Amino acid sequence: MTGAPIGPAPAPRWGLTRWLFSPAPLARVAVLRVLLYLFIPVDVLLTTTWVRAHAQVPPELYVPLRIGRLLPLPTPGPWVEAFQVVLVLAALLAALAAARARLPRLTGWLVACLYLEWMVIAMSYGKVDHDRFAFLVALFVLPSVGRASLRSRERHEAAGWALAMIALAVVATYTLAAVAKIRFGGWDWVDGATLTRAVLRRSTPLSEPLLEVPILLQAAQYGLMVMELALAPLLLVRWRDPRWTWGLATAFLGFHLMTFSMITIIFLPHCMALLALLPLERLTAREAERVPV
Amino acid sequence: MLTAGGRRVRSGATLLLAVLLLAGTFVGQDDDFPFGPFRMYSTRDDPDGTVVSTRVEAVDTGGTLQVVDESSTGLKRAEVEGQAGRFRADPDLLGALSTAHDRLRPQELPYAEVRVVERSYRLQDSRPTGAQTERVVARWVRP
Repeated sequence: MTGAPIGPAPAPRWGLTRWLFSPAPLARVAVLRVLLYLFIPVDVLLTTTWVRAHAQVPPELYVPLRIGRLLPLPTPGPWVEAFQVVLVLAALLAALAAARARLPRLTGWLVACLYLEWMVIAMSYGKVDHDRFAFLVALFVLPSVGRASLRSRERHEAAGWALAMIALAVVATYTLAAVAKIRFGGWDWVDGATLTRAVLRRSTPLSEPLLEVPILLQAAQYGLMVMELALAPLLLVRWRDPRWTWGLATAFLGFHLMTFSMITIIFLPHCMALLALLPLERLTAREAERVPV
Repeated sequence: MLTAGGRRVRSGATLLLAVLLLAGTFVGQDDDFPFGPFRMYSTRDDPDGTVVSTRVEAVDTGGTLQVVDESSTGLKRAEVEGQAGRFRADPDLLGALSTAHDRLRPQELPYAEVRVVERSYRLQDSRPTGAQTERVVARWVRP
């Protein structure tokens, strides 16, 4: 598909299609691949080690998700320890392959499938998080771009589509979270005490004093709703404009850091996917000038 | 540039993803992961109600009371809360946490008793009043 020299279709004219297939730098895809694949060992071995601990949990506490009932996925057990090594090695191999622009589809989709299974192991014990939807989408769409060199100066529709899908997934994570608040919490979610509960359960020295000032926590609930419903979609419209994307991406990354400082929850994989909105190709641009492709 | 076929496949994938995600958001449940609703912190707590925080406690065979964290049993607090209904209905299931502890921390004394404790904080105008109650909702004792 990618870069096929024969039979290119004429540039799309219709608005939504044009948005989906607006050419984007191949180098950004290459840099993003390296960053995301290298993040997997960090995630598996350092920042979400509780997934590995499921290896030792007896099977009666395994509550398979629909995906685990539809697909013949094995019940987690001691094999999870070995699986984690396979996943980390596959991710390192994929990072190396991405850096050298070799076998991106084979290595990328292998990692995507392994990581999805890792997530099934993570989420099948009574709690489902939504901190890595965009990361999963990124893992599945990035290989579709095909070969992309770190030093490439070329823009391609395939790269544009992959990055647009990641942008969509990032924005959906915010906006559809607001929809879920309205669905489960009702329209008066903003006037509830949800953040009070969050702080009571996971307070930090920074957030504990806020329990005495509930008006601030309530204001934060309004702020969160506005951010998820209004600011996030703006990202979708403006992420290709460098004047906007830096400001918006920084604001969202700042939001996640603030959340971490208050209730020690951070959407790290989501933050990694957010990097897709930034002009990562500039990281390798100088080198590209020295070594013409 | 992409071929017409390449564009069709990608448009189809986009549409499929959007449909699954919207269906998950509006009618799905956690069970539909990865397309379930993004529902962390989506429930509303009554500003004049109670907020519950759950913990797992264990008494080891030496008689020492331990607050059990996720690294001791392989289950996070939120996972224990997610399965709280099962633990209440069948407290013997807590024995599985003790088994996990034996495997994860073989150097420690095994558990003689495991219990799930709910602490309720009373709120008034979204502010904790200081009133708290604790309740053991499930208990397992080593046979």
